[in-house]
Amino acid sequence: MNKHFRLTLLAAAVIASPLAFASASAQLPAELPPFAKDKALPVPQITKKTLNNGLEIWVVPRQGIPRLDYVLAVRGAGFSADAANQQGFATLLANVMTEGTAKRDSRAIAEAAQGLGGNVGASGANDGITVFADALASNAAPMMHLLAEVARTPAYPDREVALAKANALQNLKASEARPAFRATRALNQAIYGDHAYGRTQPTADAIDAVTPEALRQAHASRVRPERSLLVISGRIAPAEAIKLAEAAFGDWKASGPAPADAPAARDSAPAVRVLLERPNSVQSTLRLGRPGEAASAADQVPLRLASTVIGGGFSSRVNINLREEKGYTYGASAGAQSFRVGGAITGGADVRNDVTGASLKEFFSEYKRLGEELVGEEELAMHKRYVAGGYLISNQLQGAVARTLASNWLVGLPSDFLGNYVPLIQRVSAEQVREMGRKYFKPEAQSVVVVGDQKVLEQLKDFGEFTLAK
Amino acid sequence: MRIFKLGLGALALSASLSALASDEWKLPIATHKLANGLTVVVSEDHSAPIVGVSVVYHVGMRLEPRNRTGFAHLFEHLMFQGTPVAPKGVFDKVITSGGGRNNGSTRADFTNYIETAPVSALESLLWLEADRMKTLDFNPETLKNQQDVVKEEIRVNVKNSPYGGFMWIDIGQKAFDKWENNHDGYGSFQDLENASLDDVRAFHRDYYGPNNAVLSITGDLTPAQGFALAEKYFGKIAARPTPKSTDYSEGLNTAERRFEQQDPLAQVPAAAVAWKMPARGSRDQAPMAVLGSLLAGGDASVLYQGLVKGRELALNVNELYGLTDPWTFDGPTLYVVYSLYKPTSNVDALLTAIDEEVAKIVKNGVDAATLKRVKTSLVAGYYNDMEMFLSRADRLAKLQTLWGDAKVANKIPGWIEGVTSEDVQRVARTYLTRENRTTIDRKPAPKPVPAAPAAAPAAAPAAAASK
Repeated sequence: MNKHFRLTLLAAAVIASPLAFASASAQLPAELPPFAKDKALPVPQITKKTLNNGLEIWVVPRQGIPRLDYVLAVRGAGFSADAANQQGFATLLANVMTEGTAKRDSRAIAEAAQGLGGNVGASGANDGITVFADALASNAAPMMHLLAEVARTPAYPDREVALAKANALQNLKASEARPAFRATRALNQAIYGDHAYGRTQPTADAIDAVTPEALRQAHASRVRPERSLLVISGRIAPAEAIKLAEAAFGDWKASGPAPADAPAARDSAPAVRVLLERPNSVQSTLRLGRPGEAASAADQVPLRLASTVIGGGFSSRVNINLREEKGYTYGASAGAQSFRVGGAITGGADVRNDVTGASLKEFFSEYKRLGEELVGEEELAMHKRYVAGGYLISNQLQGAVARTLASNWLVGLPSDFLGNYVPLIQRVSAEQVREMGRKYFKPEAQSVVVVGDQKVLEQLKDFGEFTLAK
Repeated sequence: MRIFKLGLGALALSASLSALASDEWKLPIATHKLANGLTVVVSEDHSAPIVGVSVVYHVGMRLEPRNRTGFAHLFEHLMFQGTPVAPKGVFDKVITSGGGRNNGSTRADFTNYIETAPVSALESLLWLEADRMKTLDFNPETLKNQQDVVKEEIRVNVKNSPYGGFMWIDIGQKAFDKWENNHDGYGSFQDLENASLDDVRAFHRDYYGPNNAVLSITGDLTPAQGFALAEKYFGKIAARPTPKSTDYSEGLNTAERRFEQQDPLAQVPAAAVAWKMPARGSRDQAPMAVLGSLLAGGDASVLYQGLVKGRELALNVNELYGLTDPWTFDGPTLYVVYSLYKPTSNVDALLTAIDEEVAKIVKNGVDAATLKRVKTSLVAGYYNDMEMFLSRADRLAKLQTLWGDAKVANKIPGWIEGVTSEDVQRVARTYLTRENRTTIDRKPAPKPVPAAPAAAPAAAPAAAASK
């Protein structure tokens, strides 16, 4: 029931494109008031301390809502550490952390968090596990204690692991019914091949194989202070925050050797064509993808701006074209995702069946144009201001700041990347954006995955030979 | 974020120490009504150099024309499609260039239009909102374009999606008796295709005047600035007569309603269990919010602990208040518990378990420790939902629209705190009855015989497919 379904923090705009229907009419009305002078960009002030056990602590004090946010990022504990036959293992490793500790059972943990006016939980991602907690400001100390308890001493009780596995199997079945889930799995395999980034969704066999002992062992080896960062934001003074963190984590010790670092993901891949059959589907779930680059690699900043232009927000090129001009879809998007040892360029839209081929044609046309033509001055300025605005909008939220700092750290970006990001974006040139288009958005290098009724194959024959799969 | 205002210096530190003790959060709320009837709400917050803006119109799906299901929502889309002065494309271009984001949504009792941006774009945002309040570019091409877009929205969210929104679309169709409350607000494709420019003109004229709207701004401005800007950009828009709304009130149901649906896309069964809620503003509303959270608000809740844990019948338990929340509605609304359940279970087992848990509350009330936990969590969550300036502006606009008083926002935490065990008992006894209950059991449709091996879960073959 919304105008559109994404209110992303990073994104883009167009109008000056030759294809944009509105380019002529989008002359600004004479009576429209101009923008006022921009205020200075606030930069998060981070107080840092590293404990003797290697745990890094960053504190970002804020004066807004009466809440504290804690984010404990554990590097190398996520999917990148999962074995080839352990697809999605890190999800269970993270989720069951809150289902019992040495001291408390699952219910006691949930009730404690509720009573503190907050939440505690954990999730797995490509480059790590994130354990997060929040609470009313006056409950800073007990919530820090609870966070440390679930992060350091999860018990992985047999009964809870069995229940989590049973529910994970059913949830997998439920996910299989969603075309986007199947598309993502196929696309990730096309992009990453055998790399761990390519197998983050669980399989039934992998879930079956999980044991409480395997979870306990993985926790002991993966969740370690010298590979962790704790970010604290909210109504608290830095000294007080560090004191709380030291009390809760100061005697945390690693045991045994740490898992090996993940190898680099590939930077190119054969472009495959796959149609995943979904009989009687009333839409085609169209996805494009190819390898991208790691977050700390050289192209990161221009690549993000190029992503904003092509498909990062409502006003991005693919959305204006496929939605606002053609009416093919509720929303189209495209852009880069970057992780610690690799990345991806992905795009897509869910479109009605009879415009499946036409939609792919428009995606390719926009991708090609990005690498051939310079983005106009006005369009580029618009995107840069959009990125700057996204930074400010996100920066108002203390939890978002904490999470962004933690996720940047997980993927190998320095702590000042967040504060420097907008100035770096402002220096990107149209030539650099075109170079990113040429390097990452060439249609020939894109794999294409379609989930839909096989009748749409006819429309796709100009785009290569599609493998039909269930 | 006051730290930034103070020049990133040490002053922030002392400020933070003095604030530590208090978990209370009172919002500054100033309201002013323009001569044309537009109510303006300003909540000042200089902690970030941005603003959130919400314009809420007091019309939603209940009041759309009878043979035009889905029209209020289609109309919302058309509000972004240009005016005679600012043709299609200008709206998004200006907001994007201003560093902002925008969206809109349609609900039973209201339609909201929201933007957030650096404060440097505030006047541009207000100009754009005023411009589309005056009139629209009633244009056949953009109408056709958005008819197509809305149909794709319905395909992606309903027709091509397992469960298809049955926990809010179908359940309302079954639980309510009056057309205003029980028609499909997303709309039939036929009704959407039949929508004409005359319909669009009439709806804008009747429901989109300043006198039927609230403008709310939160963020880096003062109330005086906000009121002056509102006068400057909206003051000259004439009020327009708004049709008297029909009587869509309806009482609690007196006989249980049960339905079974077959879902050709789903692979795991689900159930939606709904009860008609207390009316907005009734003394039962805050107790209902507490009861709802006690039952299904998170992992500590009674039904999570009783159905996902404990009896191990369900995969998850979610609570819904129509498509809004316990405070943001006006007409008849449902409290819905929505759950995916295990194939080894069934809807009768779920309902029996729910009945048992509700009966315990009716009989014993809630112990003091549990009640305190639930209320603490509810108040904290209520604050969390307003941290973003945009969400704060939007909530204030909605409360002003529906309650006639944005300051209700500061009263709600106290109302929650005041709920007693007896209140919770009374509300459970009155509303969560079998007679007032509507249930939809949504089962995976049997697979057609000649298709893929029926027993094989799709996981393995699909995983192998992509190479």
